Amino acid sequence: MRRFSLSLAFFIFLVILIVLIRLIIYPPLPALATSLASPEIRFAIVLSLVTSTVSTAICVALAIPASYALARYNFPLKKLVNLVLTIPLALPPLVAGIALLIFFGTTAWGKALDSLGFAVVFTPLGIVVAEVFVNLPYMIRILKSSYAAINPRYENVAKTLGCTDTGAFLQVTLPLARPGLIAGTTITWAKSMGEFGAVLMLAGATTMRTETLPIALYLNLSTGDLDLAVAASVILILISLAALFVVEHFSDEAHVF
Amino acid sequence: MALHVESVAKTLGDFSLRDISFDVKTGEYFVILGPTGAGKTIVLETIAGIHAPDTGRICWDGEDITRSEPRARNIGVVYQDYMLFPHLTVEDNIGFGLRQWRIERSTIHTSVEEIANLLDIRNLLPRFPGTLSGGEQQRVALARALILKPRVLLLDEPMNALDTATRERMRKELSRIHRLTGTTVIQITHHFEDVFMLADRIAIMKNGTIVQVGEPSEVFWHPIDTFVAEFLGIGNLIKGVARRSGSLTKITAEGKVTILAASETEGPVVATLHAEDVIVSKAPFTSSARNCLPGTVIDLVPSRSTIKIIIDVGFPLVALLTRESCRELGISQNSNVYATFKASAVHVIPVNGE
Repeated sequence: MRRFSLSLAFFIFLVILIVLIRLIIYPPLPALATSLASPEIRFAIVLSLVTSTVSTAICVALAIPASYALARYNFPLKKLVNLVLTIPLALPPLVAGIALLIFFGTTAWGKALDSLGFAVVFTPLGIVVAEVFVNLPYMIRILKSSYAAINPRYENVAKTLGCTDTGAFLQVTLPLARPGLIAGTTITWAKSMGEFGAVLMLAGATTMRTETLPIALYLNLSTGDLDLAVAASVILILISLAALFVVEHFSDEAHVF
Repeated sequence: MALHVESVAKTLGDFSLRDISFDVKTGEYFVILGPTGAGKTIVLETIAGIHAPDTGRICWDGEDITRSEPRARNIGVVYQDYMLFPHLTVEDNIGFGLRQWRIERSTIHTSVEEIANLLDIRNLLPRFPGTLSGGEQQRVALARALILKPRVLLLDEPMNALDTATRERMRKELSRIHRLTGTTVIQITHHFEDVFMLADRIAIMKNGTIVQVGEPSEVFWHPIDTFVAEFLGIGNLIKGVARRSGSLTKITAEGKVTILAASETEGPVVATLHAEDVIVSKAPFTSSARNCLPGTVIDLVPSRSTIKIIIDVGFPLVALLTRESCRELGISQNSNVYATFKASAVHVIPVNGE
């Protein structure tokens, strides 16, 4: 048993390593460098960084209070709210994307936003909207379990010592939820960097306009420009590794899943 | 009268407090006793303002504070697991309350040192709570509450998490702090031992309601019902039927044994008798004591310095002897002995449909 399971684990380890390394070394090194420096990839890097950072910031700002409500308070329809908040987790991003496209593209709501200058469909703004929609449930889930693990009596004591409800939250609960907050933010950001399906549906795949790294990978692959596609994926691999490192580092304290 | 709790009721999930009423005088050490799950902590949290009562009211010196926020009450809380903020040093934990009131840093520092000296924890100030022992954490939690000079200090099972030696020291410490600061204290515990040294008055809780309030000796000698008597560990609970007999009451217990009690109760009763009030002898014991029952020793249960002797006198009667007198009397299993006790040592509780 020991020998069998060990060799199987080692085999899987090798397969993953070989597949990834083969991808990175597919183009000769100078070609990879040239691709990474090309205007298209540079544009994709910047666009991905900006949209991911903005959408992560929005997720954090919404999840900090929302997940607190789910962790601490009882309210009518709490179970239903929890369930609906979990749906996007299980939904294929493509489906989430098309739902967003229908909502923003065909409803009065979407059109009103459009006329106000906030065009969402097939724009960089759409990238942010798609990323928030898909990743917010992750952020809420992680933060919620972080809060739930903190004894509410800390807040009770803080209140008897002179804190308002908000004061107790900001001075005690939020600092104690820090590991979960860091892990959640990192996962949300890394997932945003790699988000493809929902972005493709809502923001489209327009070269040098809504071209994030995954979209760049897809566009260049479909036009046969493998070197550029590989360049985009190399960056995505590095981002995944960095995120994994951060999460591993904090996962002892954070209740991530 | 300082704290006045009147007909407070509160439902939290499956649990509910019903008709909680008691008064605590200024400077008093008040202890709420009850088994785990009686709702003692919820009572404390309601006094502190964490839970708003569904009905009833809480007053301080005549002022209704039922709806005021915890921070406006100036009531300190120390939980049994201390709840020291793990991300702050001991110094910042103790100074936490003063910081909320925007007091100058240097003033806070001075106050923290002062209270730390009082509790002998000055050397702990730069450390984090995670590195402290249970006793140390408890003193830090006390300092954090006391620094605001609270009008009431609420202690939630303060001895529970401590080992026996530390517990003894803490009991003395609490007594000293209470004398020194004059703070009104309400402590909850399920440990009867905690009470005698500290409490001015006690309340007994059961299933979300208070069943008896009084001075410890009063409650101990005159438990209002069998629950209180059993909870307080009073040795003997004798079921029987009481009938007047002159100035006394004659109780017919199991096995047709009759005992005399100084009471006027009649009908079905439970009589309580403390094990230490039973005198054991080999020959009939002549004294003013009105009860002298012959019996056979069925069991001897040694505990620290005493031996609990269970005598079959028609029903099992528990007596307490020191190891020495047990040896001197030569009592062993199946010894024939006499159990003697005064009529005034028997406390009679009427049983109404219980």
